[in-house]
Amino acid sequence: MRSPTQTLAAKIFHWVSLVSLFLMITSGLQIYNANPVFGGRAGIHIPAIFGLGGWLAGGRHWHFASMWIFTLNLGCYGVYVLLTRRWQHRYASGKDIKALATSQNQKRKNYAWHRLVYTLLIPILLLSIYSGLGMYKPAQFYWIVDSFGGWDALRITHFMAVPITLILAGIHSQLGRKVGGDRLLDSMFWE
Amino acid sequence: MSQEPEPQHQSNLESNLELDETEQLPRRRFLNLAGAGLLTIGFGSLAESVVGGLSEPLNQQVESLIFKPQQPVPEFPTSAIEPDKLIVNSFRGTPAIANATYRLTIDGEVSNPLSLSMDDLQRFPFTDMVIRHVCVEGWAAIVQWGGVRLRDLLAIVEPSPQVKYVYFYSADGYYESWDLDSVMHPQTLMAYQKNGEDLTPEYGAPLRLASPIKLGYKLSKWVTRIQLTSVLGQKRGYWEDLGYEWYAGL
Repeated sequence: MRSPTQTLAAKIFHWVSLVSLFLMITSGLQIYNANPVFGGRAGIHIPAIFGLGGWLAGGRHWHFASMWIFTLNLGCYGVYVLLTRRWQHRYASGKDIKALATSQNQKRKNYAWHRLVYTLLIPILLLSIYSGLGMYKPAQFYWIVDSFGGWDALRITHFMAVPITLILAGIHSQLGRKVGGDRLLDSMFWE
Repeated sequence: MSQEPEPQHQSNLESNLELDETEQLPRRRFLNLAGAGLLTIGFGSLAESVVGGLSEPLNQQVESLIFKPQQPVPEFPTSAIEPDKLIVNSFRGTPAIANATYRLTIDGEVSNPLSLSMDDLQRFPFTDMVIRHVCVEGWAAIVQWGGVRLRDLLAIVEPSPQVKYVYFYSADGYYESWDLDSVMHPQTLMAYQKNGEDLTPEYGAPLRLASPIKLGYKLSKWVTRIQLTSVLGQKRGYWEDLGYEWYAGL
């Protein structure tokens, strides 16, 4: 059996995503703690160990520095996916849905789940950029805030990107191992 | 409107005095208050000196690039006002100011420095707006503010052409500095009304800054002096000097 290989672009995308998402999430939780989304100042705070930046200003510095790396990485990968026509066959399609519904082949079903989960991660990441831009510049991009119906819905959406991303990324890594074993994981990060 | 022309050097002296009063202690107190471990405190200092230092010039350029100085931000109907959501923040309590003796001084690099009473200010054209007030902490409130357009006041003092920044000094020792474009925005007000009623002391009476284009910490309460200048000094604002970003545009 041939060892899986990955393009350099896919490897860079995965590495930079991993690091920049870590920075975005930890600095985001630091910002969250200044005024918890649920319950305000009296609400539930995130344990300080998960925060990056030490206090609100430091958290904001990290967040608004990492956002460039995170966004440019996702943008460059988007261009790459378009130019190489990967978008035509690398993402979940009707065939995968059909396999999940009717296939008796467990391997095919695992593969369909795998494709479905990593495809789903992309709109979640894009949504966190869109909602984040609305919170960062609500006067210049008032229409982003309006598109969520108001400030609170915007904040909740932006925050919910954190647990959803963590869960999907966790499932993505496990499904990757299920589909291709540790060799697939290794091929994406190390080899 | 009464005027109190002041020699230039005297006003500069005064501003230096006011600036030097700021203490460095709150920074340490704040980091301790953050309740974070050693590691995160280390990251905090690192963030402010390295990450902030690298990213802020870029972010500030982008922020001022997307800012439209003459274009008003869309407003809300009065039915959208959220009176309970506006949280009172201050760094040193609420100063007691007597309306009768209150004066607003506008000076610095201007040909016609002014000192205005509340009666003087209320004779300027009244402007009100229903806007979203956004705090750096993450909460926001839709508020109606009423008062005087700052650019109407600036037109009378006749700033010299090299003026690029405006300092705001408050009765409680708070200080802020703004870029001139944001000061001249049609929705940047010196407000004396909130939600249709006279401003109360904890919200900044008799006079405070209000604007939809800057974060809440830029919107000084209890403003007693507005100083126009061509140079941004070492001290740029109470929270900015502790590490917050200076431009803070929305």
